[in-house]
Amino acid sequence: MKIYVCIKQVPDVNAPLQIKDGELIQDADRNILNAYDASAVEESLVLKEAHGGEIEVVLIGPEKAKETIRKALAMGADKATHILIDNDTAPDSYSFASTLSAFFKDKEYEYIFCGKQAQDTDAGLTGSMLAEFLNLPYTTNAVGLNLEGNVLTVKRQGDGGQEIIELPSPALVTCSNDMNEPRIPNLKGIMQSKRKPVETLSLADLGVEISEDQIKTRILSFEEKPARKPGKKYEGEPDEIAREIAQLLDTKENVI
Amino acid sequence: MSTLLTYISVTNGNIKRSSLEVLSRCNELAAEHGFQSAALIISDQTSEAAEKLKLHGPDAIYTMEDPIFKNHINAPLLKALSASIEQINPQLVAFASTESSKDILGALAANQNAPALADVSEFELTDNGVKAKRPVMASKIISAVEAKGSPVLLTVRSGSYDVAESSSDASVETISFSFDEADLKATLKEIIGATGDKIDLSEAQTVIAAGRGVKDDEGLKMIDDLASVLSAGVGASRALTESGVYDPSLQIGQTGKVVSPQLYIGIGISGAIQHVAGMINSKVIVAINKDPDAPIFDIADYGIVGDLYKVLPPFIDELKKMKSEK
Ligand SMILES: Cc1cc2nc3c(=O)[nH]c(=O)nc-3n(C[C@H](O)[C@H](O)[C@H](O)COP(=O)(O)OP(=O)(O)OC[C@H]3O[C@@H](n4cnc5c(N)ncnc54)[C@H](O)[C@@H]3O)c2cc1C
Ligand SMILES: Nc1ncnc2c1ncn2[C@@H]1O[C@H](COP(=O)(O)O)[C@@H](O)[C@H]1O
Repeated sequence: MKIYVCIKQVPDVNAPLQIKDGELIQDADRNILNAYDASAVEESLVLKEAHGGEIEVVLIGPEKAKETIRKALAMGADKATHILIDNDTAPDSYSFASTLSAFFKDKEYEYIFCGKQAQDTDAGLTGSMLAEFLNLPYTTNAVGLNLEGNVLTVKRQGDGGQEIIELPSPALVTCSNDMNEPRIPNLKGIMQSKRKPVETLSLADLGVEISEDQIKTRILSFEEKPARKPGKKYEGEPDEIAREIAQLLDTKENVI
Repeated sequence: MSTLLTYISVTNGNIKRSSLEVLSRCNELAAEHGFQSAALIISDQTSEAAEKLKLHGPDAIYTMEDPIFKNHINAPLLKALSASIEQINPQLVAFASTESSKDILGALAANQNAPALADVSEFELTDNGVKAKRPVMASKIISAVEAKGSPVLLTVRSGSYDVAESSSDASVETISFSFDEADLKATLKEIIGATGDKIDLSEAQTVIAAGRGVKDDEGLKMIDDLASVLSAGVGASRALTESGVYDPSLQIGQTGKVVSPQLYIGIGISGAIQHVAGMINSKVIVAINKDPDAPIFDIADYGIVGDLYKVLPPFIDELKKMKSEK
């Protein structure tokens, strides 16, 4: 069985950030493997452990993103493809998905896993775009997977409840971090990752171009969020505070 | 004439309030630009919802009805949306941001070769597309974005716009639909934990959210009592959905749902940015936490520093008393 996992390097949302003249300034050393993709990698490894097969991660990103590929390999993925782009290319989900579809066009696989969204932008578009480009059945926001024979049963978090969906292969699934707790690479994994094959491809190798006029959506600028006015902290006798606030919510805020 | 199309999300004949928020915004934009605002219902029953929609002022209403739309399944919905777009030829298709619309937004964009913006909090029209704002970096900051092309597809966060009432005598036009179930490659087997007639979190006017500080049945009982006094929806932090105490559909935050109630009460929740991402737009935020340095106090209007087991009983008592006097 072959499973491809699409992974993205994203800035750590916990790291301090600054906005200067509409630009976002962040510490480039605080880039990480997208948490949702880490869950997708984890899930692929669990399937491999139970059913055998090969796990390959695919990443589109600048040279620096190699460290994120190494992380996935250290978790246990077998090999990787790095589709290299310049630092200053700013593709949107559509260009990422069409580039990935060029890569997958002549590949054979049972499943492609993606994260349900990128942790920094929360776009959540690339997975289902890729499925449509490749004409694959898909489901998004998976919180559980079970493979029996060649039927993949996916539990997806829907609006009301959890939808249990059966998918044939090949198919594409986007994973929530509610699915599992991704493993932390151990020393052995880290050592082995250095010897695992990473193939580097250029956009030209794939016959793809990501040019200005092809990018359908773009970021114009970043803005501070209007800050909430800091409220009041109440400390002391629980009885009194509780009653006081209940009253204020009614008479002052009118929300009771 | 250019058309702005709002997809109206309907379950069991009920229109989602967040869809009406989006429709209200599209009505406003259409009036400004001299365009037409149209609404689209794709459901297993559409007539009742179409009647109700007339109170919210679209210029035209389109319906597509088929039993296959009873539950969310992405393939037929995609086909239905593509067919509608081809017939109506809108410049914009706007959805309320739900798990169902997020499931198909990317695929529809790929299918229509169209730009897509997910989860916007504001949007306006430009000469050749849309400008919008999106919270990013776990909602720590806002990015101003632009989409060029037609139609622009977008989903809108609940609570971004107010619902306006304005009656219209829009005609209802049926778009025909056929889908061969044999074409379904993915099959929906069942839906578990469907919340049924419980209060829909993303639309609740009052939300009680429980976190790791709620440790036992006694605490959970207090949460329930508080929710019933206030007729509130109950949500949870990841700590309590992960451990199985609450259903995963009740998670509030970056992975979970976005809520925008009049009143949010966070109980035993630290206020991690990924949780805050889902509730920061609440009108009034109350937090109960025994740690005076908990980050949730940075955003709470009313921060109660104390043990929730000591604070909740008198709080519930007082609220009960107030309610009974009303
Ligand atoms: C990519 C990603 C996405 C995520 N998405 C989400 C999401 O959608 N939603 C979400 O909630 N989290 C999400 N998280 C997890 C998030 O980072 C936090 O781990 C989580 O919100 C913590 O939940 P908590 O506040 O209940 O628990 P904790 O952080 O453990 O806080 C518990 C709090 O309870 C207080 N407390 C304990 N006992 C009492 C008592 N007796 N009385 C009063 N107070 C008490 C403590 O002081 C503490 O502040 C995500 C994380 C990642 C990486
Ligand atoms: N540059 C990329 N390289 C590989 N996979 C990506 C890339 N961008 C997005 N993806 C995949 O698409 C998912 C959703 O991304 P997004 O649409 O940006 O929210 C991610 O979790 C990845 O699985």
